[in-house]
Amino acid sequence: MNEMVRTLEPFEIKDYLRLQLMPHFMCPGCGHGIALRALLWAVHELAIDKNKLAIVSGIGCSGRVGAYIDANTFHTTHGRPLAFATGLKLARPDLTVVVITGDGDCLAIGGNHLIHACRRNLDLTCLMLNNEVYGMTGGQVSPTTSANRLTTTTPGGNAEPTFDACKLAEAAGASFVGREVTRQAMALKNVIRDGIAHPGFSFIEAISDCTEIYGRKNDLGESPEMILSQKSDMRPEAFGNVADEPFRPNRLVTGILAKQARPEYGAAYRDYAVRVKSKPGRPR
Amino acid sequence: MSSPVKSKGARPKTKAGSDTAAEPAGEPVKPARAGGNILIVGVGGQGVLMIAKVVALLAQKQGYQVKQSEVHGMAKRGGIVFSHVRYGPEVWSPTIVKGEADALIALEWAEGLRWLDHLKHEGVFIADTRRIVPPFACRSRKAGAPINYAKETPADIVSRVADGFALDASTIAEGFGDARAANTVLLGVLSASLAYPEADWLEVIEASVPPKSRDINRNAFAAGREWALAARANPTLRFDSSITSYEAPAGLLQPKITLEINAAWCKGCDICVKLCPERCLALNAEQVAVLKSPDACTGCHICEWLCPDFAISIRTSHPEPVTA
Repeated sequence: MNEMVRTLEPFEIKDYLRLQLMPHFMCPGCGHGIALRALLWAVHELAIDKNKLAIVSGIGCSGRVGAYIDANTFHTTHGRPLAFATGLKLARPDLTVVVITGDGDCLAIGGNHLIHACRRNLDLTCLMLNNEVYGMTGGQVSPTTSANRLTTTTPGGNAEPTFDACKLAEAAGASFVGREVTRQAMALKNVIRDGIAHPGFSFIEAISDCTEIYGRKNDLGESPEMILSQKSDMRPEAFGNVADEPFRPNRLVTGILAKQARPEYGAAYRDYAVRVKSKPGRPR
Repeated sequence: MSSPVKSKGARPKTKAGSDTAAEPAGEPVKPARAGGNILIVGVGGQGVLMIAKVVALLAQKQGYQVKQSEVHGMAKRGGIVFSHVRYGPEVWSPTIVKGEADALIALEWAEGLRWLDHLKHEGVFIADTRRIVPPFACRSRKAGAPINYAKETPADIVSRVADGFALDASTIAEGFGDARAANTVLLGVLSASLAYPEADWLEVIEASVPPKSRDINRNAFAAGREWALAARANPTLRFDSSITSYEAPAGLLQPKITLEINAAWCKGCDICVKLCPERCLALNAEQVAVLKSPDACTGCHICEWLCPDFAISIRTSHPEPVTA
């Protein structure tokens, strides 16, 4: 892959943006912009034609991210981008389909769609931007909000335990699972690139910052402080040591967390269609 | 390594296990010479300890008593690793005193120079010319900035020592498919200076490397030995004469770095200002990022990658070299 990357033109993000919509609507310091750059950079490195790229996004701050990409974008209903993307990919297997979704969109409202998308292992890439909160609707608690954090619906601190989305995806059968923080923009780009190139369902969690709503309410500092604190919270997989996990519970394991070879659903489905059609006496 | 054997005279000891039936009974193997001190130096990850083990096993095979002593604690991030191998009819101290090493093998150029005072006046100096520049030698992040690394060229050093060999072992090893085999190339060079049979060397090397890299190591050893024999016959081959200076060429072409800030897109989130390693950005009165000190910018792209609003773009253009 690296050989291919080197021969490319340098990445210019303006080639991939709908410039008439810029500057984007996101708050100052929002990590979603960094994740968007990483996604477009990965697309550039893989030399994917913009006309063959389909971005499907749900509702929320993350859903709006897709609208700025100069490609085939599809802004769908809350929690259902994976369902729309599944149909799209089955009908048009020639497209590269990337789903941009958020933590609430993907894990709460669309939680069932996520686990079944992981189970089917269709060749999709699901980029979940995890900012630990429902930002667009006013800062409600989400399944990934850390313990004791303040949101508009948990004024006394969040009492619920949180989801580990990567473990969930891996257990449900996703064949590629990765996590990276936006602080490590290049590493995030590499994980997304490998995820898109992976044949099968790729689940990538990008840890992003919500500075205006979540950070301010929880006194996490301004944008630079929040993005710098990501680095102290992360633990790259390369240095990961499972044995010390109990001693550093707040540390995020980053990198490519799981990669398994499983049959890809799209190919299996097309085989099935051919088989059924060739059988005499069957409904067409 | 081996525990000291009780002294019963000056005769070389053989280990009980090496007394095979093929040898005449009661006749211990006579060593070719009266032992030696071999110092192997390098940085972490180069395989210093592996070749030290090979030399130690080889010496043991020749019927010597061997002692090996090494330091490899800080080696994980490219720190210094060295290993003393002493062998002879009887060895008491495991370390080599200054000026007593018969051979100094340096897997890294500056490490070789650092340990040069341990070499005997007539000792053999074998070094890889590949430079591994430590991070603290590069304080300035500017392209082409001077580095605090040894400026001595292979020609300088080879002319100063009695018996010096400087070769680009890493490149030779890369030719066989794995740069990590550079240590075995240097072993091949060493084998040409010690009077032990080539078959013994190969046997010990093959026993010490993983099975999948046996072929690479065998080729690397042969290449090193061949190079050393040729260099011994023709002294001009002892060092790469094309390396005449390690000074940065005068008037090195600095890449041209243009940092553009799209003020209309900047939302003043302050990320670029706080995360720039050179502190060359600032927010102006309108809370828009501006390039405060353009000369300090090294074009590292961190502000560009971390700008959530895509307001910063950096272009680095490398001017064409003027020389033909």
